[in-house]
Order: sequence, then C-alpha cells, then structure tokens
Amino acid sequence: MKKRSMLAEIMLVLGGIITTVALLMAFFWAPASLYPDGRVDFAQKIFYFHVPVAEASFLVFVFTAYYGIRFLMTKRREYDTKAKIATEVTLFFVLLTMATGILWTRVEWNVWWQWEPRLTTYFIMTLLVIGYFVLRNSVEDEEKRATYAAAFGILAFIDAPISFLITRFVQSTHPVVFKSGGLETPMLVTFIIAQVGMIMLGYAFYQLRLQQEQLRERLDALKISVGG
Amino acid sequence: MPGLSMRQFRAILKKDIVMELRTKEMITSMGLYAILTMVVYQVALAEAGENFDVRLVMPGLIWVAFIFMSMLGLNRSFVHEKDQGCLDALLLAPIDRPVIFLSKSVGNLLFLLVVEALSLPVFAFLFLQGKEGIGNPIWMIALVLFGASIGIAGVGTLLATISVNTSGKDIMLAVLFVPLEYPLLRAAVGATFAAVIGGPGTMTAFWGWMAWIAAFDVIMVAVAYGLYEFVIGA
Repeated sequence: MKKRSMLAEIMLVLGGIITTVALLMAFFWAPASLYPDGRVDFAQKIFYFHVPVAEASFLVFVFTAYYGIRFLMTKRREYDTKAKIATEVTLFFVLLTMATGILWTRVEWNVWWQWEPRLTTYFIMTLLVIGYFVLRNSVEDEEKRATYAAAFGILAFIDAPISFLITRFVQSTHPVVFKSGGLETPMLVTFIIAQVGMIMLGYAFYQLRLQQEQLRERLDALKISVGG
Repeated sequence: MPGLSMRQFRAILKKDIVMELRTKEMITSMGLYAILTMVVYQVALAEAGENFDVRLVMPGLIWVAFIFMSMLGLNRSFVHEKDQGCLDALLLAPIDRPVIFLSKSVGNLLFLLVVEALSLPVFAFLFLQGKEGIGNPIWMIALVLFGASIGIAGVGTLLATISVNTSGKDIMLAVLFVPLEYPLLRAAVGATFAAVIGGPGTMTAFWGWMAWIAAFDVIMVAVAYGLYEFVIGA
C-alpha cells in the first residue's frame, strides 16, 4: 500500500515535469509548421497538448469498460470504485481536449464550433461520459448503481468507436496526424514525450484519486461500525 | 429447452400485445406525440417559404419524431411492468433472463413499427403534397425503418430497464439513449435521405448506410442482450 502510493506521487511529479518540458520543446525546439502559402502556423503548437490529452482520454476510458466487466463477473465493490475513478479521469481529459480543441478551431477555422465529424463524435463521447455520472447520481441502491454504471460504461465504450468510424464515412476536415510522412522528426519526438508525460499524469491522477476514495470508503465503514 | 423458452417468449409477447389492444395506451400516446411533433414542424418551417424543398430536411424531421416517440414508448413499456409489480413476478417465474429481453424488445419493436407506419403517411400528407415525390422506391424507406427500429428497440429495452429503476426515469432514458443511438440515427438519416432524393449514386450511398445500420444492430443488440441478465437481476 505504502509503496504504491509513492509510485503514484513519483509519476505525478515526473509527468508534470515531462509535459512541461515537452511544452517548452514545442515552442523552442520543434520547427514551426507552415501553411501551404509559407506563413507560420503558430496555432499548430496546441497539437502537443491537445492530441496527447485526447489519446490519454481514450486510454483511460478503456479501464471504465474493463473494470465494468470485472465488476459484473465478480460483483466486487472495489472494481466499481475503480471503474468510477477511471471514468472521472476520462471526464477530466475529455473536458481538457474539448477546451483546447475549441481554441484551435477558433484560430484555424474561424469558428468556435463546427459540426465536423471528429468534433461531433467527440462531443457524443463527452455526453456519454457525463451520462455515466448522471446515471450514478440517480440510483440510491449501491449494488444497482454499480451494475447499471458497469453496463452503461461497457455500452458507451463500444458505441464510441462506432461513432468515430461512422463519421469517417463522411468527409472530414479535421487533420489526420499520422498519415504517411506527416511529421518531421523533432515534431514527432516532442509529441511522443508529451504523450508519455500525459499518460504518466493519467496514471497518477487515477491512483491518487483511487487511494483517496478507498480511504473514504474505509472511513465510512468505520463510522458505521462505531455506530455513527 | 428451446421449446419451453419459445413458449415463454410467446406468452410474454402475447401479454404485452393483449394489454396494448385493451388499453391502446402506447399506440395512442406515441401516435399523438408524432402528430404533435408535426405541428411543431409546421411552426419550425413556417417562415421557410413556398419554394423550400422539404425533402432535404424530411429524413431528419421524421427521425427526430421517431426517436422522441420511441423514448416515450420504451419508458411506458417498463413503467407499467414496474408499477403493477409485473416485473417482479416475471423475475420470480423460472424464465431465462434473455427470454425476457427478447420478448420485451420484440414487443417494443412491433409497437414502434406500427406507429412509424401510421405516422409516415401522415407526414407525407401534411408536408409533401404538391411537391416533388420520393425519388426511389418506397420499400427502401420501409427497410430503413425496420433496420433502425431493431437497434432502437434492442438497446432501448436495456436502457429503459435501467432508467425505470432510477430517480430520473424519463430524463434519465434520454440522457443515456440519445448519445448511444447517435451512430444509428446518423446512418438512418443518411439512408432515408438517399431513398427520398433518388437519382444516380444514391443506391450506393443507401446500401453503405444500411451496412452501418446492420453493423450497429448486430453489435449493440448483442451487447445489450449479454448485459441484460446482469441489469435486470440487480
């Protein structure tokens, strides 16, 4: 228990340093991206934050479904707590992705919002994640809440990729990053460092929040056993 | 015991149909809701002008009506079961949970299809008279209705079972249902559009969207089927 707690804190500090370094590299080392007409595309710098956060959000969302399945198989409460925390971290990353994405669209496309396929589907995913918490908050019974949340988490996790694929069927103006020969090496290196840092932060948020929640559960159990 | 399961399936389905035939509650409330939606559409399009081509927005309009109408019906189908204690009795009876899921979904699908088949001519009567007709054969629209309604009824039955046990009920169903059904709705509007507009190239688009609908139906209904046992037992 003690050792795990230290790991989460180390990851938090390291992830913070690495993402900061990546941000500095993005501005001082990675070459500027150019428009076809030769002007400097300064707004592209947000890519080193926006894309790592977006990908981390998908990665953490996997655990919502994974722990949802584990809960349904075992009915053990700890998996429900883990699924809930994973979804909390997902929500945090999703909101960051949305905020940075909207800033970028304003600069690049001259509008705050556009019903463009990628934006639309990410918006749907945001609604699914928010729906997960609305559902949790409206069920009193603990076991019911956990079961419903697990079922909805699994459904949402399967639905999100379908949404993403279906909009690929329609023309999209959102940049596809990793098409053939898309990035120069310094850009790619900066991006990978930012991505690694972001995943470390995701892990740290998840672990620390989980420890906090487990502590709260123990405290609640103690209160009841004392007779409060 | 496939024979026994089949009899149980038929018994639950028959119960729902008989109850509906006696009360006519779902069909009338869903049908009325669809007609009221069309009144709202008249208001929405009031300033659009005479030359406005309704066919361009028709696929969207009918699916908006159907999605809200289906939520109303799905909710009803379980509020009844719950209020009158029928769901508890079903759970006490030695019936496999998947059988309950299948019979409730098929019942919901039937009611949905009936109301859709009744309200679509009403829509055509109110909005399409004297305009350009439907470009492609009418069976294409029927196929979209059938395909998309399977996804709505299948996933909706699971979500309605969840939402009827929450404190939010109606609003909870909408919060869970609309984003989950997004891909299906998008494909349904795409396919309906191809069927309504007609002309070269629309057949390819139509079958493309139909493939999406089929994929959604297979994947999502299978998952809903698998999860139902846990949800209804909770």
